[in-house]
Amino acid sequence: MEQHGLISKIGGLLRSGEISCTELTKKYLETAEQENGRLNAYVRLTPETALKTAAEVDRKLSAGEKLSPLAGIPMTLKDNISTSGIETTCCSKILQGYVPIYDATVWSILKQQDAVLIGKTNMDEFAMGSSCETSCFGGAKNPHNTERVAGGSSGGVASAVAGNLAAFGLGSDTGGSIRQPASFCGIVGFKPTYGAVSRYGLIAYASSFDQIGPITRSVADAALVYDAIAQYDPMDSTSSDKAAPAFSSLGKDIRGLKIGVPKEYYDGIRPDVKAALENALKVCQSLGAEIVEFSMPSIKYSLPVYYILACAEASSNLGRYDGIRYGTLTEHYADRDEMICRTRSEGFGAEVKRRILLGTYVLSAGYYDAFYKKAQNLRGTLVKAFEDAFSRCDVIAAPTVPMTAFPLNFTARDAVETYLTDICTVPVNIAGLPGISVPCGFGSDSMPVGLQLIGARFSEPALLNAAFQYEQAAGDDVFRALETGVAR
Amino acid sequence: MNYELVCGLETHVELATKTKIFCSCTTEFGGEPNTHCCPICIGLPGTLPKLNRAVVEYAVMAGLATNCEISPVSKMDRKNYVYPDLPKAYQISQYDMPLCRNGRVDLSNGRRIRLNRIHIEEDAGKLVHERGNTFVDYNRGGVPLIEIVTEPDLRSIAEVEEYVEKLQMILRYIGVSDCKMQEGSLRCDVNVSVRPAGQEAFGTRAEIKNMNSFAHMVKAIEYEYDRQVDLLMSGEEVVQETRRYDEESGCTEGMRGKEDADDYRYFREPDLVTIRITDEMRETLRAKMPEDPQKRLTRFGSDYGLPEADARLLIEHRRIADYFEAAAKGTKNPRAAANCILGQMFARLGSEAEKERFDVAVSPERLRELILLLDAGKIRMNLVKSTLEKMLDSGKPASDFLNEKDLAGLSADDLKAICEKAVAENEAAAADYRAGKGKALKAILGSVMKATRGRADPQEAERLLAELLKK
Amino acid sequence: MVTHEEILKIARLAKLSVAPEELDGLTRDMNSIIEFADAVNSVAAEDSGFDNINNLSNVFRDDTVVSSFSREEILKNAPNQEDGYFLVRRRS
Repeated sequence: MEQHGLISKIGGLLRSGEISCTELTKKYLETAEQENGRLNAYVRLTPETALKTAAEVDRKLSAGEKLSPLAGIPMTLKDNISTSGIETTCCSKILQGYVPIYDATVWSILKQQDAVLIGKTNMDEFAMGSSCETSCFGGAKNPHNTERVAGGSSGGVASAVAGNLAAFGLGSDTGGSIRQPASFCGIVGFKPTYGAVSRYGLIAYASSFDQIGPITRSVADAALVYDAIAQYDPMDSTSSDKAAPAFSSLGKDIRGLKIGVPKEYYDGIRPDVKAALENALKVCQSLGAEIVEFSMPSIKYSLPVYYILACAEASSNLGRYDGIRYGTLTEHYADRDEMICRTRSEGFGAEVKRRILLGTYVLSAGYYDAFYKKAQNLRGTLVKAFEDAFSRCDVIAAPTVPMTAFPLNFTARDAVETYLTDICTVPVNIAGLPGISVPCGFGSDSMPVGLQLIGARFSEPALLNAAFQYEQAAGDDVFRALETGVAR
Repeated sequence: MNYELVCGLETHVELATKTKIFCSCTTEFGGEPNTHCCPICIGLPGTLPKLNRAVVEYAVMAGLATNCEISPVSKMDRKNYVYPDLPKAYQISQYDMPLCRNGRVDLSNGRRIRLNRIHIEEDAGKLVHERGNTFVDYNRGGVPLIEIVTEPDLRSIAEVEEYVEKLQMILRYIGVSDCKMQEGSLRCDVNVSVRPAGQEAFGTRAEIKNMNSFAHMVKAIEYEYDRQVDLLMSGEEVVQETRRYDEESGCTEGMRGKEDADDYRYFREPDLVTIRITDEMRETLRAKMPEDPQKRLTRFGSDYGLPEADARLLIEHRRIADYFEAAAKGTKNPRAAANCILGQMFARLGSEAEKERFDVAVSPERLRELILLLDAGKIRMNLVKSTLEKMLDSGKPASDFLNEKDLAGLSADDLKAICEKAVAENEAAAADYRAGKGKALKAILGSVMKATRGRADPQEAERLLAELLKK
Repeated sequence: MVTHEEILKIARLAKLSVAPEELDGLTRDMNSIIEFADAVNSVAAEDSGFDNINNLSNVFRDDTVVSSFSREEILKNAPNQEDGYFLVRRRS
């Protein structure tokens, strides 16, 4: 599989000496600087870190040392992944100036592999949003059309990777935050099984849903990055040692693969999006896969279950921002209680406050049973529904988003209406499953459409192979709308 | 009318683990502020807790020692409230599935105090208030605690005192906590209510917090009892509330709090996984637990022939009891070993804390060697004592102070010769003795003992000297 | 329907201050969100025994001390500090 994907391609150029890592890094840094005014993908560039790593890679190359697969590859991290010595803000006013004193486990791994950090990327504040527009730095734009959003919450990573400002990036996915922006930007976004990748150092939104994953130009790249970061981590009690490497499984025949199509996922999606997906399913059939249609009625409770549980956890996770140990502190207050309340009210944006309030409400005395407990029980029901589904099929195919990237400022209108756009992505997070979004054509507005493939727990090798085979068969017309960076 | 006191206790006990409950920072008491801290225990964004195995084990042991049922399945929960001493704005604790349930502690009057539960949780940091400013130190944040909750079964201050003392003894003995109230490693909140004697239904209770010594706890309960009885006698009602004990005034006072301040919004801690205590784990821990102190007391009498008073002194601190058993093992003179500990060793340990640590320079094996010499008749008790002093001073083994001659024993002829020499060398004392001053003999005996390095039997030597001096 | 009073109570618990002019809008927002969330109550769900997502148990750490961070690092991000303590000033 070494010939596949942008990462392997860049790796080849570095190893053959066609370009030095320092030259390559400078090129990406320059592009990032030039294009960021247009895309607002980065909230912070890290040229010092990048060039230092690049020099180290060049030294290793000239010394003939063996390089890891990600060595020298220009990449980016969503701004909720802790980087020691580099400001990490979750794109929230309340964390302005916060410089972590430790590294997230994923960043330690990538550092050790000599990956080149170009910068930290834009996101919805505390990963709460679907457009990247709740960022205190303003939203990231879609490289396909800068009048459209890049998606959220990992909009900055998607915009940077689609716009050639990084070869790959790590985002986090709580209710679709990797897959949705990848779909909007016409690239690959992969959310691994809950527990496959350590959350240590990922600033929490909703702990039992959050999962870090790659946003890349190709499925092969996603598999390569996944293989690097999917490691058991003793610092994360929910991390698992069951993750199997996926890259080496790519390329296997998918003849006879059963692709499940639960009809609820296709209810009410935009006709042009539906058409693109039907076309994608035909491509899969042409590869010998079998389509299995069935119904998953409990899917329709996913959204309320997700918003209740995620907001409950968020209300607790975000209690710590009080202006005492880190972050911003209000200037005017009369006593300690007012200090904390004002710090939080001034520091958090409207969407974050809404979710904290909802989460506080559903946990408070008198409402816990009707909301939190009920939702927790339904979560179990949904887990079982997916277990049943995977007794009938090997992977599930669904839209990633029932629409294409919306225009800027579209989501500000109505909170609930915006939540509905997550309908196809949240079930995966509720059940802790792996899900990948792969480009599958364009809507009538010429914006990319994503095909979502969902696998059973820890079935990454098979899931990524299915996505890879589709990607290869779908051909350049779907996939190569954006040029790859170094090829220019 | 007579009113009966009804108390229930919530006792927080700091566990004696080396590290905190969710991170690897030391639990050592004291230290410069914020020097026993890491990103996890100051709650930096992105950090995650990792449960200390020893905390679970110690809590299960505490449960076993108080006859609790150990829950096969339990979990951790978040208790949410915002306060500067709580860096994550929630305390990780256990809500509806505690590790241990339904235990008991029996009092000497035959009454049984039922324990509702024992659960594990983290301690908060320390706040120092100065001129309205608040200084925050998180050294103690994340130190592991168990909370032991009784049913409202305590009926008098004497019962409360005995219960807490008994709890301290049990927990110290199994080694899960040092239970020092003055260092805050044991803290009690007391629920107090009163009811007319003979009435079955409980009265309304008040919860009293902030008592950091036994004496304060007693005063607080006394005050609260009087306050509630006064209220009822004058036809008023007791309000259910949390009250704070004020050391200066000796009074309890209602804590100014908003009505919704204690809506803690408990929910399952998503960053930690389920705790499953299998029968095997439980029984392994039970096997590791030391013998029940009461049983040990009886056994010290029957196995070693120790007087009860001596046995009690040894058993009070588990480390000392263990030391004694190691030293007395296989000897014919366990009482001599006990005397060495209670005599020479205790003389060097002033405080209870020093006894608790029992940091002595002589290992039980070396004391045992000494006792075995006594068993074999090679040395006498007085030489045991003087040698032990030297060993305690230097940390060196007995063989450094006993030469071949010491161990060779002393023939009757040798002793006689030494006695004769001593009389000759102590002319003045000999003259005094002959003149009727009986005490003068002691001086001569002293030089005999010195010359024989304590090998002589003092009674035999004294008899010989008296005989010589008669001549 | 959630009332203004309830919103204020929830905000107090969450340590958020709500300005009087925000209250109407926020109450409206919260009501539509809560109404949306209330869909969970339109379905019967017995206790599904949901535990944690991968059914993990007994993940423990050994009781071995690792050096703490330097105090300088611990206090590095604090808006206010004094004498090695995090400082909460009485008033601004």
